[in-house]
Amino acid sequence: MNTILVVVIVINIILALLFSLGAAPILVWVERRVAGFIQDRLGPNRCNINGFRLGGLIQSFADMLKLVFKEDFKAKAIKEKFVFTLAPVIVFVSAFLSYMVMPFADNLVIGSQTFIMQGLPINLGALWFLAFAGLSIYGIILGGWSSNNKYSLLGSIRAGAQVISYEASMTLALVSLLVTYGSINLVDMVNFQSKLLFGFIPAWGIVIQPLAAVIFIVTAFAEANRTPFDIAEGESEIVGGYHTEYSAMKFGLFFVGEYVAMSASSALIVTLFFGGYNLPWLGTDTLKENFHTVMLAIIVILPLLSLLFGRWIVKNNVWPSKDDKRNNESKWLIRVLILINIVVIGILGCFLINGITETTTNIAVAIIQIATFAIKLLLMNFVFVWVRWTLPRFRYDQLQNLGWKILLPLSIANIFLTALVVVGLGV
Amino acid sequence: MTDILFLILSLFALTGAVGMITLSSTMHSALSFVVTVMALAGLYALLSASFLFMVQIIIYAGAIIALLLFIIMFLNIRQDHTPKEPNKYMTMLLIAIVLAPMDYLLFTAFARMPHIEDFSTKIDNFGDIKMLGNALFRGWLLPFEAISILLLVALIGSIVLARKKERR
Repeated sequence: MNTILVVVIVINIILALLFSLGAAPILVWVERRVAGFIQDRLGPNRCNINGFRLGGLIQSFADMLKLVFKEDFKAKAIKEKFVFTLAPVIVFVSAFLSYMVMPFADNLVIGSQTFIMQGLPINLGALWFLAFAGLSIYGIILGGWSSNNKYSLLGSIRAGAQVISYEASMTLALVSLLVTYGSINLVDMVNFQSKLLFGFIPAWGIVIQPLAAVIFIVTAFAEANRTPFDIAEGESEIVGGYHTEYSAMKFGLFFVGEYVAMSASSALIVTLFFGGYNLPWLGTDTLKENFHTVMLAIIVILPLLSLLFGRWIVKNNVWPSKDDKRNNESKWLIRVLILINIVVIGILGCFLINGITETTTNIAVAIIQIATFAIKLLLMNFVFVWVRWTLPRFRYDQLQNLGWKILLPLSIANIFLTALVVVGLGV
Repeated sequence: MTDILFLILSLFALTGAVGMITLSSTMHSALSFVVTVMALAGLYALLSASFLFMVQIIIYAGAIIALLLFIIMFLNIRQDHTPKEPNKYMTMLLIAIVLAPMDYLLFTAFARMPHIEDFSTKIDNFGDIKMLGNALFRGWLLPFEAISILLLVALIGSIVLARKKERR
């Protein structure tokens, strides 16, 4: 146990927490603001701490605090108290655990040690995700059953049928990917995608396996119980579905668990189909070889982006009255932006002048990859939100038809096709 | 450390199994079976059979028992629907006595196993997906295919049996 090992493991755990649990309030905020945008209204933007609104992000924290302090009400009809309490915990824990194998960056080499940049350093990759994403159905089934309420029971029956039927197609879509990449290890999969096809197209999963990508993304929506597959909580038919009887933080666990599960699905989609932590055309090795050029590019691009962002802030958040508290926010945000610029450019400038050691290059590359992963993750989560507010809900029979009669045969056909191509090309 | 984990997991597995046959509510029985299945998965992981560990969770816990719970919920089985079992514990005791010679056989078989002195778990990629795949598809291809066909027959059979007869 040396210091570097401990530091890297702690950083990995903190990153995993940030990407999963920390993402929940941000995703709630994105969801509500994007919903507002799509429906031509504003969404939450008033909640503030001394004028600081962060575009409405503070509202999510206020909502979380409200959930913590609410009365934990439980109806007398609920007999199975233990199971009733256990259900949200299962949903939350399984969503959280399924996140732990997503690689944020390529294996980090410091001196003679190699670190796997995941929450838990396990090589089981995609299988681990399938296992724990599948377990979350217990929480939904038990929650609905123990609530002793016909709406809850209906909701969890629907959710159970949906998740079990879509899991089959999801696993089969994954099998065709395993055949292509030749590994279950997510880091290997991402490194496979850093190659180029025909010399100019990044060999991302969505280019090599478009059918598997479509099937996987559709089933991921169903697995996360998001619209258009959210019949489990169809408000207009069965009140709140399986969490009708839940209140306060027990409901909060269901709620946060749903967002963590959505974020985990997005992370897996990004890792499998969109090149994971790799920048397009810049694999880990290319990035390390041309690190000087990359540093120069960052020094040029970062101030430009900050300038644009600053002007956007000034345009949207500067108010005519001098004592308006909201002006404070813009002032501070711009100061923070300038500080970030100075620090980053200062550090990179030092490296450019004094030269850079191999370990530092590796760490810097890891940081760039973590940032890339975060941005891709946010974009994929945005797609989830976008679809939710664009498409209407499926009817139950339509959903089962789609699952069993379209997606399942397609994914099996895709496996055969992939196997033929892989054997034929002798890859 | 491994020994302590082994003891804890076995304890969970046994408790779950006992709970499954003694609990009267169907749902509780199924839930305690889940405990057994998960504890077994943990034991596989301890024996460095990582693929088996994952498959145990995905197939048994994630699909089969989830389906079982789903059916129990779907049929809304309550306690008064299940048949009465008056001499439950007496029956269990009798079965245990009847099965005692079997246990004796197992123990003697275990005691007479060829001399293995080293009982430590293998650490190299022994239960890995690659090793397992190579063993299955190179050494045991014919049995593997035979079992697949058996499963397929069972699958088709269940669909044929469950299908409604067409009215004429």
